[in-house]
Amino acid sequence: MITTSRSRLWRSLTGVATAALLSLAGATVSTPAHAADASKPIKVAMFNDVDTFNPFTAVLLQSTGINRYQYEALVGYGRNSEPDAGIADKWETSEDGKTWTFHIPGDRKWSDGKAITADDVAYTYTSIIETTALQAANGGLVTNIADVKATDPQTVVMTLKSAQAPNPGQEIPIVPKHIWDKEDAAKFAADKDVVGSGPFTITTFKTGQSVSLKANPNFWRGKPKVSGITYVAYKNSDAAVQALKSGEVDIADGLTPAQYDSLKGAKNITRHAGIGRRYQALAINPGAIDIDGKPMGDGNPALKDPIVRKAIFMAVDKKTLLDRVLQGLGDEGETEVPKSYANYFGFADGHEAVPFDLDAANKLLEDAGYKKGPDGIRKKEDGKPLRFRLMGRNTEPAHAQMADFLTSWFKDIGIGLDVSMVTPDKVNEDSTLGKYDLYFTGWSLGPDPDNQLAMNTCASRPNADGSGNTSENNWCSPEFDAAFKAQHAELDEAKRQELVKKAFSILYDAYVSDPIWYIKPLEAYRSDHFTGFGLQPEKGGVILNQNGYWGLYGAKPVSSDSSSDDGGLPGWVIPVGAIVVLAAIGGAVVASRRRSTGEDRE
Amino acid sequence: MTVIETVPADSEDTRGSSLPRYLALKAGGSLISLALVVVLGFFMFRIMPGDPAINMTRGRQVSPGEVERLRKEMGLDQPLLVQFWRFVRDLFTGDLGTSYVYRRPVTELIGDYVGPTLLLTGTAALISVALGLWLGQKAAWRRGSWFDKIHTGVALVFWSVPTFWLGLLLLLIFGGGLGWFPTGGMSTAASTDTGVAHVLDVAHHLVLPVTTMVAVIYAQYLMVMRASVLEEMSADYLTTARAKGLREDLVRTRHAVPNALLPTVTLIFLTLGLLIAGTVTVETVFSWPGLGYLTYKGLSAPDFPLVQGTFVVFSAAVIIMNFIADLLYRVLDPRLKAS
Repeated sequence: MITTSRSRLWRSLTGVATAALLSLAGATVSTPAHAADASKPIKVAMFNDVDTFNPFTAVLLQSTGINRYQYEALVGYGRNSEPDAGIADKWETSEDGKTWTFHIPGDRKWSDGKAITADDVAYTYTSIIETTALQAANGGLVTNIADVKATDPQTVVMTLKSAQAPNPGQEIPIVPKHIWDKEDAAKFAADKDVVGSGPFTITTFKTGQSVSLKANPNFWRGKPKVSGITYVAYKNSDAAVQALKSGEVDIADGLTPAQYDSLKGAKNITRHAGIGRRYQALAINPGAIDIDGKPMGDGNPALKDPIVRKAIFMAVDKKTLLDRVLQGLGDEGETEVPKSYANYFGFADGHEAVPFDLDAANKLLEDAGYKKGPDGIRKKEDGKPLRFRLMGRNTEPAHAQMADFLTSWFKDIGIGLDVSMVTPDKVNEDSTLGKYDLYFTGWSLGPDPDNQLAMNTCASRPNADGSGNTSENNWCSPEFDAAFKAQHAELDEAKRQELVKKAFSILYDAYVSDPIWYIKPLEAYRSDHFTGFGLQPEKGGVILNQNGYWGLYGAKPVSSDSSSDDGGLPGWVIPVGAIVVLAAIGGAVVASRRRSTGEDRE
Repeated sequence: MTVIETVPADSEDTRGSSLPRYLALKAGGSLISLALVVVLGFFMFRIMPGDPAINMTRGRQVSPGEVERLRKEMGLDQPLLVQFWRFVRDLFTGDLGTSYVYRRPVTELIGDYVGPTLLLTGTAALISVALGLWLGQKAAWRRGSWFDKIHTGVALVFWSVPTFWLGLLLLLIFGGGLGWFPTGGMSTAASTDTGVAHVLDVAHHLVLPVTTMVAVIYAQYLMVMRASVLEEMSADYLTTARAKGLREDLVRTRHAVPNALLPTVTLIFLTLGLLIAGTVTVETVFSWPGLGYLTYKGLSAPDFPLVQGTFVVFSAAVIIMNFIADLLYRVLDPRLKAS
């Protein structure tokens, strides 16, 4: 009897549970996706860490990127990364280039409604110059500044130690003095209800989870058209792609080519490959020399010969690498200035790229006395075989793929390659110490090329133990140094552009760094939620990870008519439903068991 | 002659000794383990490649002076032994140092991240233990049946599956594909929910990571419980129970299972500590804001105070759980008290 009643009970319970689960599964359940709604913030997938939002000490890219939305600098970046109005709308330079005067218009206000004045600017700059603890983020930008004074509430006068072309008003976020001088500026977290001058300001920060910003009604360019931004932390980009599909986030960047490809044709998702600001190059050790002029490292001496280095340049087919390794999602490299900065991009007059030509490379080496041995590897009579080490990062699949192509092309010109993919730390350490023959390098550039050029001057070579300065190519050329100095002090923008191109062309012609491509950052967004993103550069640029705030400042919600809210049940229905069903089953089982044990006792 | 020399900490004799003595020996052993972990952790992370000061300033315009200043600020300009002495001294005052990257006290950071990890591992452990033990004893009782074969097989398949692969698969199907569950995080970003709505939101976010963890770990409980029950099945007291007229279910649940639980309890506590340390993968796949991911980020800097701190916490979790397992074993098995 008992057995019969229990099995009947189980049958009915199973039926109820199955029906309940099926009905739940069949129901159109939506995750917390939102349709276009002006009151909803744009949700941005965030992959990187936040160290702090204190603009004096924040150094991680994610933090400084978010701070760009919160704090204006004296001078900002325009849609094409050109100097543009920020807190100041005008500025002049004295004839000797040492005195810069910035004018702050009366309409600039902090998000709490108080006026932005020259005092705020002087406070920010002086704090950095005078306090070591506040130099972590921008200390390097004030080393040439002797003095910053607020001559009246609307005027800032900056005196430099020596003339410089890069605008000293850029890059340093100006903070409100009336908030910060009440705090210990070095320890102030500045991550809640922030007072700022940019289009958005932080309201809350949940460590490791999210950062919420709201639109600043007092932003001088006008209040943003969206209510705010929410950065949602994702630890892996695959999850972010899924979140984009399910509508949990509205925009994501940093996608891999495979992820980008997987979103092709996805409903309501628009893919975007903008012009990048990072170059990928093949660096060649020309015989590293430390700051004292002594040789360092263990580079193959054959690479001291510029003919060998030129032949290597000739054996790199950039177009094939771009098409096959990067699936065409980039632009072919020229100098170290990416295409994103049109003003400084390209070769100077009289300089041109070395074409891919294996026959010409063979002839060049042959004529220079490098003869092929029985193993197909060339060498000079008294020299070592042209067999080089190539180092890349084991975290970047593209490096290993490029190495495969290079091995094949180099073999054709009689150069052997020993490829090793190692950790990024190992690449950094060995390249600094000159312990390499060839390695893959790459840098993201800011709008002003001064820093990138400075890295290749003789003064940037490291100490013998690798400490001190960082040199990209461990190379030194008086001709390049002269070109660097000339552009550094040139205040006429048009003339400076030519000088910059000249300096980068000299670097290229030394055959120590061959820019292969400028990768396009891959982004995707929900076109049914938001539109109107501002690109930088304006033509074909990127949405996120800009030098400015144009990307999300320009965004606006898609009109609700065209949006697609499925109107499904809230996302918590499934777990709650499952819990209810399981609890019901559990309760019934317990009741049945009690009855049966009761029968046993009887 | 010291106590440790006369009575080895792990000998059976200690289990039969008086409770205070037993406790003292076990606690002493745990403290020694912890001390070794502290020493090992400090020097192990120092061997890792990478200079924190260089790495933190990479890609920015900094002078050599600034790098040196940063190194001094971090205390890296001091000899290794001085650094170690400072670390140990601060540890005794509960100070794990200040994170290089986050510029916050490590104890504060761990405090922020330990809650989510405990919630995730606690839930997963609870479910997997319950599921594993229940299926294990059932499978043993019906040894050789389809139930036994299917559950043992399925559990072993999940046990062998790489955690990240299973996690990504679930994410792909139930997150991005069907949209039933969130693809990451612990709660909906920018949500203003409080109270029950917030709890439900967190429960919703817990489903996929917990399912992944449970699927991968419940097999060990199932197998141990199964083996343990099998050992008990031939015992005479079960024949007696049957002779008294008890139903098979009651023979199993009232007599066989309690005895079979003894070795399993030890295993549960031994694995609980390891579970906390093993969440890195699940936390990374599901963007769970926990200690595992914090450690991973600390390693990439390398952020010595942070990784040392989390290493101490993870190790302490394992050591404490071992200690509890030892105590529980004594409490649960009356034979040890009596001997």
